[in-house]
Amino acid sequence: MTLFERVFGGNDAVYGLTEAAIDSAIAQHGADHAVSFPGTAYSLPCYYGVTGVKVETLGQLKEALGVVKTLMTRENRLHDAFMSGVATALCAEFIEVLKYMDGAEPYAAPCYGHLPDAVVRSLGVPLVTGDIPGVPVILGTAPSADEAVALVKSYQAQGMLVTLVGGIIDQLEEKGYKTGAELRVIPLGKDVTSVIHVVSVAIRAALIFGNIQPGDAAGLMKYTFERVPAFVNAFAPLDDVIVACGAGAIALGFPVVSNETENMFRVPKSLIQQLDISKWNATSLEARDIKIKITNIDIPVAFASAFEGEIIRRGDMQVEVDGSRVDCFELVQTREASDVEDHKIVVDGPEIDEIPVGSKISLSYTVEVAGKAMQPDFESVMERKIHSWINCIEGVMHTGQRDMIRIRISKADFEAGFKFKHLGEVLYAKVKSEFEAVVDKCQVTIVVDAEKNAKLRAAANEVFDKRDARLASMTDESVEQYYTCIMCQAFSPSHVCIVTPERLGLCGAVSWLDAKATKELDPAGPCQPILKEGCLDEKLGRYTTVDEAVNKYSHGALEHVTLYSLFQDPMTSCGCFECICGVEPVSMGVVITCREHAGTTPLGMTFSEMASMTGGGVQTPGFMGHGKHFIASHKFIAAEGGPGRIVWMPKMLKDQMRERLDKTALEMYGVENFTDMIADETVCTDDPEQLMNYLSEVGHPVLSMEPFDM
Amino acid sequence: MKDWAFTTTIEEMEAATNSLLETAQKVGADTWQQRVKNQTPHCGFGESGTCCRICSMGPCRITKKSPRGICGCDVHGIVGRNFLMFTAGGAATHSDHGREIMHTLYQTHEGGNYQVKDPEKLIRIAKEWGVETEGKDIYDLAHEMAEIGLLEYGKPFGTQRFLKRAPEHTQKLWADAGIEPRAIDREVSTAMHMTHMGCSSLPEALVHQALRAGLSDGWGGSMMGTEFSDVMFGTPKPIDTTANIGVMEKDNVNIVVHGHDPSLSEMIVYYANDPEMIAYAKTMGAKGITVSGVCCTSNEVAMRHGIPMAGNYLNQENVVLTGACEAIVVDVQCIFPALGPLSKCFHTKFITTSPIARIPDSEFIQFSAKTAGDNAKAIVKMAIENFKNRKPELVNIPNLKQNARVGYSVEAIVKVLDGVANSQVDEFGTTKPLLECVTSGVLRGAVAMVGCNNPKVRPDSAHIGLMKKMLENDIIVITTGCAAQAAAKAGLMDPEKAKEYCGAGLKRVCELAGIPPVLHMGSCVDISRMLILAAELSKDSGIPISQLPVVGCAPEWMSEKAVSIGNYVVATGIETFLGVDPYVKGSTEICELLTGEHGVKDWVEAKYVVDTDIESLGDKMIACIEAKRAALGI
Repeated sequence: MTLFERVFGGNDAVYGLTEAAIDSAIAQHGADHAVSFPGTAYSLPCYYGVTGVKVETLGQLKEALGVVKTLMTRENRLHDAFMSGVATALCAEFIEVLKYMDGAEPYAAPCYGHLPDAVVRSLGVPLVTGDIPGVPVILGTAPSADEAVALVKSYQAQGMLVTLVGGIIDQLEEKGYKTGAELRVIPLGKDVTSVIHVVSVAIRAALIFGNIQPGDAAGLMKYTFERVPAFVNAFAPLDDVIVACGAGAIALGFPVVSNETENMFRVPKSLIQQLDISKWNATSLEARDIKIKITNIDIPVAFASAFEGEIIRRGDMQVEVDGSRVDCFELVQTREASDVEDHKIVVDGPEIDEIPVGSKISLSYTVEVAGKAMQPDFESVMERKIHSWINCIEGVMHTGQRDMIRIRISKADFEAGFKFKHLGEVLYAKVKSEFEAVVDKCQVTIVVDAEKNAKLRAAANEVFDKRDARLASMTDESVEQYYTCIMCQAFSPSHVCIVTPERLGLCGAVSWLDAKATKELDPAGPCQPILKEGCLDEKLGRYTTVDEAVNKYSHGALEHVTLYSLFQDPMTSCGCFECICGVEPVSMGVVITCREHAGTTPLGMTFSEMASMTGGGVQTPGFMGHGKHFIASHKFIAAEGGPGRIVWMPKMLKDQMRERLDKTALEMYGVENFTDMIADETVCTDDPEQLMNYLSEVGHPVLSMEPFDM
Repeated sequence: MKDWAFTTTIEEMEAATNSLLETAQKVGADTWQQRVKNQTPHCGFGESGTCCRICSMGPCRITKKSPRGICGCDVHGIVGRNFLMFTAGGAATHSDHGREIMHTLYQTHEGGNYQVKDPEKLIRIAKEWGVETEGKDIYDLAHEMAEIGLLEYGKPFGTQRFLKRAPEHTQKLWADAGIEPRAIDREVSTAMHMTHMGCSSLPEALVHQALRAGLSDGWGGSMMGTEFSDVMFGTPKPIDTTANIGVMEKDNVNIVVHGHDPSLSEMIVYYANDPEMIAYAKTMGAKGITVSGVCCTSNEVAMRHGIPMAGNYLNQENVVLTGACEAIVVDVQCIFPALGPLSKCFHTKFITTSPIARIPDSEFIQFSAKTAGDNAKAIVKMAIENFKNRKPELVNIPNLKQNARVGYSVEAIVKVLDGVANSQVDEFGTTKPLLECVTSGVLRGAVAMVGCNNPKVRPDSAHIGLMKKMLENDIIVITTGCAAQAAAKAGLMDPEKAKEYCGAGLKRVCELAGIPPVLHMGSCVDISRMLILAAELSKDSGIPISQLPVVGCAPEWMSEKAVSIGNYVVATGIETFLGVDPYVKGSTEICELLTGEHGVKDWVEAKYVVDTDIESLGDKMIACIEAKRAALGI
């Protein structure tokens, strides 16, 4: 039997099952019965992506199946095999959506099933930065549970986002192996059709970040082929259905590695036979051209981004550094080269093995750096990374920053020989590798002495205060240049962020200082300076130099962008924004919601639905993605009146922003406690009338503002 | 049929030619387009191969009323002899090109005009030939190899050394059929002897010798020409260039090289890049020097230096008609004598360089390995000094130009394939990744598209039309000679754009391997590269060449060399599709031998297919490939 015959056979089989399932659902519920996946604005994302048509009822699902049938052509050409693979994937999506009818929750822990839009959006940044270097899709049952664990662990240690389908899920459970999104190991489901839930993520990435128009199947496949670093690992035996699914994966550009030899074919870089499971990792990486950044750090435990979300419970803890109770802090300081001895790591005070188990201790670490291109402005940029670096240590948890840090070191680490000095090793290695362009020498001093730390903390706070004063004085007016950020262009080829002191990147991860440091670290990289010249309209924030930059870096896709307007050429989004704001027409205000908030807003839309209005580098006047910190800026939609326009935000976001937002509102409008005047989900969810009543009740400043000039 | 929007169409190329023909009319120049009209209709006896003039009793022409010549030879003997003589002419020509290369190799020395640029390849071939290489000076080895190679032309006993490169199955077929070529000159002589009055008139014997003479070319003279050109000038690797008439530059001194032997053009390219020469050109009012090429000399320098390709065989007059050609420098083969009078209508210097190709109305500068540098320098200088004689009112360089990636020697193809192999599972240095693409069905097969242009076919339409058809059907195209230039001119070698219009399978292969869907393997002598590739595919797969889904095609062929090529390609086990009849339709027996199920096919497992309807020829090629797949169960 030829490879294509196997694909066609598998496709026919799945089509038959799908048709029967839909017919039986219609017979039971009627053609008008609703079908949908939860938490997505993209209907059945795969079908919507491929055809541009949204399916809402069983009757429409049946019609969609007719469209799928037209893809199932049977010429002996790869095009036909690819399309039959795609058809198989779409059938799988149809079978899966039937499971979600009537708000059912078909997947129980540890399986996830369908992943909501918020997950897709949260993956944007780590995927472009290479923090998640790849997405393995492991399918079937490994020859042994030990091999299953070893394979998953190998990917996890590289920071991959591992998705699992089928028997391997039980194999991991059997071995007590921890899974979950926070560990980057996501069991999707045990039926082969559940593989569609990761395909759905890839498709939505194309729609969200790539501005691929729904229905542009060729564009979609080009996007996933070039930009989504997924690949498939499929355990033998592979039946025709899996072979057909594999054709769909390969069509999207995802190579398949398998140990199946019966009736199988090889295709370079696409369908690879590897009998030795222990080599699947290396084989897959080579097939998908994934390079892993290796930082060799001399510590007795593992170091990988996959451990970033790990939680250390009290019972598992050896010692705790607790900044909320005792004097602790972390600090980066610039020194003269002659004052720094490279790779000197000092522990001043007792080591971990001299401290009783379960202690809460006072600990500080000061990272002193020197370098010709080093600037004190970069200190805070490095400092903000410490959280992530320390968290990447297996068995160590870090929260907070500055003098409010908390670090837990696990008993397992202690037993493995982990010492305080290893914190120094990690800090040294990461500073030197990630900031090699500016740091020539680096030393770390760890102080484990409450008395000394009390004094040191006071000194550190003076540094922090000075920095805050500098940051506060740093406004869009006070600097000479802004920066572009096109880090996301790997995903979103026509989007350009303009980063200013008051308007950080919409992902929340790139401040003006970050951009400045990035330019220094990688002179030809994603952040390029824009001289603040040729101001055409101060209120809108319209500059000829900004226009030139967006035109150049969007490769002509964009001509004009303003910095401060929601309506006049608003800044575009890649899709991985923290927040989105949209016009609320009744109050003439704006509603802001954030990725973490799943509920609906007074616009009648959820975050996902609002987010789907923009992204991918397109301008949608009235909708704009942005970072959280921009909300409390004087420049937030300044052209339309500023943050005083905000009428609704999720409560969680209000609480995060309250302090700074209240201060800004006081300065701008003379209003006290402005945040309390903003409605949230406890006031109203989707009823504009309730919202208006509330705004009148509290005397919201928007009521006295001019209507929008839309 | 897809629209192939970015490609240059036949209509656009014809419009460009027509604008040049207006200039021709203005200056009173004669062109091939006019001469075709003058020569039409062609002689029916000649076209069907039924005219015999090998003795002075005739000429005899076979008709229904006069079915035999004066000596009694029937139509099958006459057509067969003509076919064999045609083949012998081609084999002699290609092989003599190879011989020239061997003589040049013999002249190589450290610091000389000609040097060994790929010593590894020389050592590899020496080992293959059982020549001791250890501790030997590379030039001593080169001279020794040159002598051994030259002996292949006249050795009294034994067969060609390179036959051992063929798969065992093929070698056995040749041995069983008695067509293993002996000394190259002997096979040509034997052919000429057999066709002499009063010798062979038995169709099988004549066709049998045609295959043998062809093999002496493909696995003998041509292969030496290719392999030792690589040794001296470097083995081609992928390189980007441009193609079509627009590569000539209005403000530069334009030197066009034309012919087949790279020894001359290599030197011209070298001196045209000499800063001293460029400075001299500037003093003469030009901005620089542009060397471009026509025909296979162009292929040679494009493959090794990225020199742009101005056009193919039927464009040779066009380059002069631009009025911007300071010199057209030729070596051997496929050069129109028409260039002499044509160049006189312009300021163009027509420079002949080989005693093999002496042409009226040209300046003859005899090129030799010893004086090559001085000769080339003198030619470049002459061209520069001629820049001032241009007639600006006659200058017209049509703005047609496409990007092309060329340089796919077998070594380069294997390197590309290594790039898609996986170090965890695959071995490197094989053709296996390509075989895997074929067995899985991602690629349906391969076509080797070769040959010339011929006014009997709308120029380039068959090459380009067939190539597009193959590409849309996931059939990868390898090509040489003027067929390769047709592809380049149209844009089918554009490494970025061409893949977009291919079938999904070929497109994916191009994306993963970073190749254009049509691979330029060199000049017509480099069809020997295709033989080596076919042999490697067979050895790596364990499948006889004749069973691989691979076919050969020469849709616009015209020369004797092409018939010799056809014979060695068929004799190697590759079904060969022709778009122009090889003057054999007058004999049912010869046709049956060449194209029937029980002619040459019984000896070598392949045959000719002739169809002058190009669309139908393409359908037959695809059907042949699919039938071979079905037979293999893939």
